[in-house]
Amino acid sequence: MAQGICVFAENYHGKLEPAAAELVTAAQLIRETTGEDISAVVMAKDCDAIVDELTCLGVNKIYVVKTEKDILLQDDAGSQILADMLKVIEPSSVLIPATPVGRSLFSRVAMKLECGLTADCTELLVGTREDGSYYIKQNKPSFGENVFVTIVTKEGCYPQMMTVRPGVYTMPEMQEASAEVIYMNDIKVPDSQIEVLEVLPSEDETDSILSAEVVVVGGRGAVENDNFELVKQFADKIGAAIGGTRPMVDSELIPFDHQIGQTGYTIRPRICISLGVSGAIQHTEGLKDTKLFVAINTDEHAAIYNVADYGMVADLREVLENYLAL
Amino acid sequence: MNIAVLIKQVPVSNDVSVDPKTHALVRASSEGMINPADLNAIEEAMVLKEQTEGKVVVFTMGPPDAEKALRDAMALGCDESCLITDRQVAGGDTIATAKVLAEAIKMYGQFDIILSGALSADGATGQVGAMVAERLGLPHVSEIQSIKYDENLAGKIEVVKKMHEDKIRVGCTLPAVVSVNFGSNTPRLATLRTKRAAKSKPLVTYTNAELALPADQVGIAGSPTEVIDSFEPENGRKAQMLTGSGAELAQMLKNLIDEEKGKV
Repeated sequence: MAQGICVFAENYHGKLEPAAAELVTAAQLIRETTGEDISAVVMAKDCDAIVDELTCLGVNKIYVVKTEKDILLQDDAGSQILADMLKVIEPSSVLIPATPVGRSLFSRVAMKLECGLTADCTELLVGTREDGSYYIKQNKPSFGENVFVTIVTKEGCYPQMMTVRPGVYTMPEMQEASAEVIYMNDIKVPDSQIEVLEVLPSEDETDSILSAEVVVVGGRGAVENDNFELVKQFADKIGAAIGGTRPMVDSELIPFDHQIGQTGYTIRPRICISLGVSGAIQHTEGLKDTKLFVAINTDEHAAIYNVADYGMVADLREVLENYLAL
Repeated sequence: MNIAVLIKQVPVSNDVSVDPKTHALVRASSEGMINPADLNAIEEAMVLKEQTEGKVVVFTMGPPDAEKALRDAMALGCDESCLITDRQVAGGDTIATAKVLAEAIKMYGQFDIILSGALSADGATGQVGAMVAERLGLPHVSEIQSIKYDENLAGKIEVVKKMHEDKIRVGCTLPAVVSVNFGSNTPRLATLRTKRAAKSKPLVTYTNAELALPADQVGIAGSPTEVIDSFEPENGRKAQMLTGSGAELAQMLKNLIDEEKGKV
């Protein structure tokens, strides 16, 4: 009988990823209803610091496979190890950070175990079946952020596996705690066809959009009606770099590497003024840690208002023309 | 080098709402286009094709009108295409979809590299490529920025991935599945001439009659997960809404910017 909530302890350079620590919080919330134990699975070269941190986060059991080198990028071998671990642990659910590593490894695990994998959940709720058994309602955005769907793993399919978007749950509080640590030495580390050749620190990104303190981001609304000239003047006036969503790149108003979101670039400007951006997730994901985020959009229902600090339902042309006249 | 590219036709607009009674999705428009990240995968395929004089076959699973996405891909230079369309395979989750794509690839022929876009603009699961790799027993490198192929190192490719602040060079034995990040290159554009040429390029259609996957492995029946509800986001509005005339809003905007800049 599948039992227990299992968290994938994604790690990098011997440290637990914050996105994995957050999942312990999600697991604790599930435990409030189901009363299940929380376990973590660790697969790494240097496990000690990761195990210590997981212990302080309050997980009950930590399952470890120690490898000769870090193999989280070697998803052929890594997924085999994880699948073998889960077959022994038999959890009812597995929570995974919705990161490139998490989805790559566990897509393969899901295929090996013939169980499902729900992507990028933003909320996990516990449901109860008629027979009293519990299941997890996996809520996730779809079509950008315009619609949310509730996904469930079909009855009898275990484990229920889902990736959870980083930043949705807060970090759990550190505590004096103890955990049972189980080294699964029987599990074989298979050969991989993938080899990490070199890890290069990113070259100093001097690109203006990446290092800019102030950024103006234009969306579809900034492309229409020759608004772009106005956007440029406004950006000049406030000393901002210009970034944009796909419509701006498509109309060749801004260079490709100034596209924000889903490009691999995350920008962290102090001030962001968003003009005519509806707020599709591909875009808002690329913006983090702003201190001031103002959004101007003619659509009062635009999803961008869910992430901005201040919103103005207005024609950006009118606001900017007035601004330039100040 | 034989190259397969997996693409997905996605709605041009993510403008959807939920019918309050039926909970069905109501789309503003049914117009489809090639998923943006898939254009980056096609571009990588073109570069590899030019270097190795290979052949590029583009695959998609979808309704019959997904042929348009395949023709568009062939207008960008893909040589052949394969459409998997069958009501029986429709509505599948990522597992059920990956089984169908993997089977179609196997049936079509031998490939040295299978490329896909990293994430789709609509579902954005980023899972299908890795699941296809698992099904085919191939290594998979996800969400890469660039691919390098050196004839002298036959049987291998080298890719660059980003992780946190690091750039990671990864080597991988061929055949392999690789997913390409959106924005990692500048996709070429079709011309009138290439669009015309695309009309007469080969397009093979498979149904599950050819693939012969068990009915309980594909489509809704073959999906371990199911969508049980859809809803519009609750008023998760974080923004404090400001109102006024254009001039008033401009002044408020200036005050906010000046105040934040003054905090240094």
